[in-house]
Amino acid sequence: MPILLKFIFRRLLAVPVTLLIITATLYGVLMLAPVETRAELYLPRGNSNNPNYNPELVRQQIIKEHGLDDPYPVQYVRWAGRLLQGDWGWSPGFRADILPALLARTPATAELTLYSVLLLIPLGIVGGGIAGARPHQLGDYVFRGLAFLATATPPFILALVLLGIFYAGLHWFPPGRLGITEQYLIQDSAFTSYTGLLTVDGLLNGQPRISLDALRRLVLPCITLGMVHWATLGRITRAAMLEEMTKDYVMAARGRGLRARVIVWRHVLHNAMLPALNSIGLSTASLIMGVFVIEVIFSIPGVSELIVASARGAPDTPMAMGFALYSVGLVLPVMLILDIVQALIDPRVREGVTDL
Amino acid sequence: MSRRRRFLGNWHNLLALLIIGGFLCVAWLAPWLAPQEDPADPTAMRTLPGYRPTALRAPRPPSAEAPLGTAPGGWDVYYGLVWGAWPTLRFGLLTTVLTAGFGISVGALSGYAGGLVSRVLMRVTDAFLTFPAIAGIFLFRTILPEAVETPHNFGQAVLHFLRVDPVMLALIAFSWMPYARLIHANMLTLKQTDYAMAAKTTGASSLRIIFRHLLPNAIAPAIVLAARDVGGMVILEAAFTFIGIGAGLPWGLLLVVGRNWIIGPGGNPFLFWWVFVPATLALILFSLGWNLFGDGLNAVWNPHSIKRGQRI
Repeated sequence: MPILLKFIFRRLLAVPVTLLIITATLYGVLMLAPVETRAELYLPRGNSNNPNYNPELVRQQIIKEHGLDDPYPVQYVRWAGRLLQGDWGWSPGFRADILPALLARTPATAELTLYSVLLLIPLGIVGGGIAGARPHQLGDYVFRGLAFLATATPPFILALVLLGIFYAGLHWFPPGRLGITEQYLIQDSAFTSYTGLLTVDGLLNGQPRISLDALRRLVLPCITLGMVHWATLGRITRAAMLEEMTKDYVMAARGRGLRARVIVWRHVLHNAMLPALNSIGLSTASLIMGVFVIEVIFSIPGVSELIVASARGAPDTPMAMGFALYSVGLVLPVMLILDIVQALIDPRVREGVTDL
Repeated sequence: MSRRRRFLGNWHNLLALLIIGGFLCVAWLAPWLAPQEDPADPTAMRTLPGYRPTALRAPRPPSAEAPLGTAPGGWDVYYGLVWGAWPTLRFGLLTTVLTAGFGISVGALSGYAGGLVSRVLMRVTDAFLTFPAIAGIFLFRTILPEAVETPHNFGQAVLHFLRVDPVMLALIAFSWMPYARLIHANMLTLKQTDYAMAAKTTGASSLRIIFRHLLPNAIAPAIVLAARDVGGMVILEAAFTFIGIGAGLPWGLLLVVGRNWIIGPGGNPFLFWWVFVPATLALILFSLGWNLFGDGLNAVWNPHSIKRGQRI
């Protein structure tokens, strides 16, 4: 499919520009802070082990050495160059390098994001489709009621109530990422980590028990996370269905004697999916934000561990900057995948006739 | 007039006005609803007389002195709810108005100017869309407080003068994009209309055309979005407060102090219901009111249901 490849290539071309704008903004924000704060970005590794360590002196040295009193563009280019080399700085709070610390926690976050997106998109489109196909009937009312509840309830409260019922009460779905027994199993030398996603790795290692446990623990977070976006997606699908149903081609199809089911689920839904997917693509960032919040509540050891822990400790500038950049790195692939899905569905998108 | 009548003729909208009005009344009447011991004390949280807040104190069920019981640590739930209404309203409205104002300005400029300006502004808007606000909040909370306390440069002095909350600032800085996109798209079509051309031929200035002729016609969907956002921002802030990085509005704080008691012994989530149900209901009702208000405005201004891509 060369046209699709061209489309993907065109999308990828925009990524460096996005990253440039984001990094320039982030460093611009940092320019608001005193120069000592910026100096923390260049802290040497493991410095405070030395008993003669003097943080003030070290900072003054860094300011001189890295020219942190230079104009903004000069400083920015220097910093961005260091980022490109993979040196994201050293976090005094975690006493660790930023990039490895973030990458080590990525699989847990990626797994949660992946499963919730896989869950919410089909369910949202089907839900909105059912509601839009027969407005003001039972299915529509059920959908609208659920969607209303989903958007009105704060997700973190929903998460706690679900945990109360299904974990503390029924013992069905525990929080965390893996049980203790399973944690021993994956620390065993016989267990090789292929993808980092426990549900997949468990199967690849021939230990379905691990996959099952990981899946069981993903149920509640995925439901909580999916709810809000499911409702938005469904509502837009429903509204788009209602609009599409009045179009001439529907009447033409009906006139030719096509069955109503075929018209609704093949032709109308196909067209109605686009605005819905488009809106989900645009709100990817808020989806990722939801992932971070849900991780904290379900005590999943993902990247949000880093923000919560740093928020409690002393201000950790390199970690804050690293996290900000990294979260863009999480959003971009998801957005790209959603764009590709749209291009697969709609020839106009992949030919570049309509702009996304 | 007919629009107003259409708006008021729908019970959804009346309910929305009732809820929003109710919160305003509670905020206004707080000194009478829950008298303070010390009128100079601005905090929205208090413990019962003779109590000192300790994390270990168990929640107590509703009683005569605390109509909605106390949260763990002895915090008076009713008092927190009543005195939390004003900070919540203020936070929601201020954040939304500033966010919408910024987004609308960017969108109007980009849509009207066209050409290179528009291309650059829209690229920036799209880039910001990839940035989760939570990362911005974490960043602003980390670097701003020190800087704002002792201003060294112009930017810091402005922030110091305005006493902006880092959380609010981050929410504004990273949620204006939908407004910009909406207004940009609307301005593009409106610019081509006959009346805009006519205004131009009469020699009206660009600013006059934008503010007098185009924006009033383009702004309706943005106001609808803003009405819904007031509730959304407050819920978002509560979630951030809950995980420990928010601005610390009282309703969220009540949930924070009660978090370990939400799941009671034996897995009954409603054994200590007063610890979280009142605060949650307040949050839900608040977001419900503003959402209904937004839907009502939408129905009046945009009777042909929702346009494509409008709800972002």
